[in-house]
Amino acid sequence: MPGRVTDARQRPAVVVHRSPGAPAAVLREVCAGAEEEGVPTELVDVPDQPEDAVGLAHAAALDSPLEVGVGVDAAGAVAVHHGKLPAHRPATTTGPDAGPRDWRRTGRTAARIVKGLPLG
Amino acid sequence: MVGVDIGNSTTEACLAELAPDGSLTYLGADLTRTTGVKGTPDNTVGALRVVRDVLARAGRRPDEVHTVLLNEATPVISGLAMETITETIITESTMIGHNPTTPGGEGLAVGTTVSIADLTAQPPGEPVVCVVPAGWDFDDVARVVNAAVAGGVAVVAAVLAGDDAVLVTNRLDRAVPVVDEVRAVEKVPLGMLAAVEVAAPGRTIRTLSDSYGLASVFDLDPDQTRAVSPVARALTGNRSAVVVRTPSGDVTDRRIPVGELVLRGAGRELRIDVDAGAEAIMATVARLQPLDDVHGEPGTHVGGMLAQVRDTMSDVLRGADGAAQPASEIAIRDVLAVDTFVPAEVRGGLAGEIALENAVALAAMVRTSRSRMQLVADQVSAELGARAEIGGVEGEMAVGGALTTPGVDRPVAVLDLGGGSTDAALMTVDGVCTAVHVAGAGELVTKLIDSELALGDREVAEGVKWHPLAKVESFFHLRHEDGTVQFFDQPFPPHVFARVVVLTPDGPVPVETRHGLDHVRRVRRAAKSRVFVVNAVRALRQVAPGGDLRALDFVVLLGGSALDFEIPELIADELAPYGIVCGTGNVLGTQGPRNAVASGLVRAHAAASSPCPAG
Repeated sequence: MPGRVTDARQRPAVVVHRSPGAPAAVLREVCAGAEEEGVPTELVDVPDQPEDAVGLAHAAALDSPLEVGVGVDAAGAVAVHHGKLPAHRPATTTGPDAGPRDWRRTGRTAARIVKGLPLG
Repeated sequence: MVGVDIGNSTTEACLAELAPDGSLTYLGADLTRTTGVKGTPDNTVGALRVVRDVLARAGRRPDEVHTVLLNEATPVISGLAMETITETIITESTMIGHNPTTPGGEGLAVGTTVSIADLTAQPPGEPVVCVVPAGWDFDDVARVVNAAVAGGVAVVAAVLAGDDAVLVTNRLDRAVPVVDEVRAVEKVPLGMLAAVEVAAPGRTIRTLSDSYGLASVFDLDPDQTRAVSPVARALTGNRSAVVVRTPSGDVTDRRIPVGELVLRGAGRELRIDVDAGAEAIMATVARLQPLDDVHGEPGTHVGGMLAQVRDTMSDVLRGADGAAQPASEIAIRDVLAVDTFVPAEVRGGLAGEIALENAVALAAMVRTSRSRMQLVADQVSAELGARAEIGGVEGEMAVGGALTTPGVDRPVAVLDLGGGSTDAALMTVDGVCTAVHVAGAGELVTKLIDSELALGDREVAEGVKWHPLAKVESFFHLRHEDGTVQFFDQPFPPHVFARVVVLTPDGPVPVETRHGLDHVRRVRRAAKSRVFVVNAVRALRQVAPGGDLRALDFVVLLGGSALDFEIPELIADELAPYGIVCGTGNVLGTQGPRNAVASGLVRAHAAASSPCPAG
């Protein structure tokens, strides 16, 4: 089920790292985007740290058995990363002023990297 | 002296020195983009540029030039037109057949269409198909449907506007087939009997794409079954579909009357219905060689197509006074018809359904007597202070240049694979030369690729034509169209991830299509084959002694399209059974298929050449 928090390394899933204070509405859409594509997500709470969404996403990707991670920071900015990409070059990002459609898209993008489908 | 060949897209030069004893030394070759339309005074700029470039390269001064030799421009220009001859129209909202990437659930269900807003008010037990307009959240949809089902309403399927099918299905207490991404869901008629079918992943629907399947679902009599059979055909190959039975609904596969081509030639006139297809048209063209003119039946599509070609040409053929040549005076001397198909959005569709419509493409060629190469020659002469003369017929010059290819001997035929026309010329053992031009070349190939893949972008289509394909399989590797895999040490940008790409010198460029690599490759090769292979045979038959390809020995491919990575092999494969040696020209042993006419001009000037009537 979406939203359940378990050990990220247990099963193949896109790992989502969220800062304390990451907006619930953003997380919901990110997970929905991946779920619609049929790819499971694992939510992981990370302690407060100076990382932005890109940094969170890269750490999440390294933590994911599928090498795909999403970072959501306290401001609601989202980044999608692949474990083999350079840390500063995420697959996609949205700013803090993005809307539900953009958040859904980031979840879909993460799932599509896993499935090997065009990200568009 | 400098030979200059002004072509449709490039202007080429060949610099050579003629010794007093008549021996010829080649000093260099160069090319630049043609300025203006071939055969017009605008060409002077490009001609001068290429002359100066080739001189600079060879370390010679412009005042050393004695003679500039210009080609007699091929007196042909060509035009293209394309028209669909079928059209699929959905009258009334009877059918949704598309492939959303992620439908939900699976199976076949039949029920009455009801808006989700009215769901709980339905009488229990009656099967209903829930229709969800845009703006509904997936959690809300699932909650309302679950509540209705708990209250006894038999919800058997759902049709959604948004991309939510899997999300909704995952939250339903009882799974049902769900079709999503139906953009115009508000047009689905309510209170009507509807069938929804979703196939398992990797499979296609079986019942709604079958005429008797539809008859069984909707309890149709034989007449009604006949009426819905286009629906079944239109849904074939989809993973999901919705069919709503409305009293007057219909899908029509309308055949647009295309009209007749009226061909005149060899003292006869024949009419051929364009509906008969490209093969029948080309057979008729072959019976009327040489062709004098072609018209389309007025008031029909083909009449419009040829009128369009004539209008474009009358514009190009402006006289020295700037007046356009009247369209009625333009005689079309050759046509190439190609059967093609165009993916078009179905009119009246609810989900952006695409149907493949049959179409015919026509390339037409006209002769013009209005080449103004003399003006170009005069201007070049004035600028350089050297003699400038028009050197000879292009076909003959091209043969002369082709003969400098290592391994070639007379009798030799050249095929100049250009942008607008495909030209053939033959030189016999005793130096007698004949030349022909046929309609259809690189431009038509680009147009076919553009329309068959629905790219809507000529530049992308050019890219597909010129470069091999690959599929990006991860951020670090791609698979070439021949199956080999290449690793890259820099990650690909996300916009090419998992896409079919063309490998341009500037890196991979995505081809915006839902089709796989194999399909794109097939379309590309078929387009080249239907234009260049067909035209190679057509043109060579016209110059071959007695029209017999077996009478030919050497065929040399020239022109821009001879640089293509597969056209030469496609043509060579076709000609091999006739015992012909066919390959790409290598002019002067160094220039490849380029520079044949320019170096032919120099050669012809140095030695007396045989007359070459243009045929």
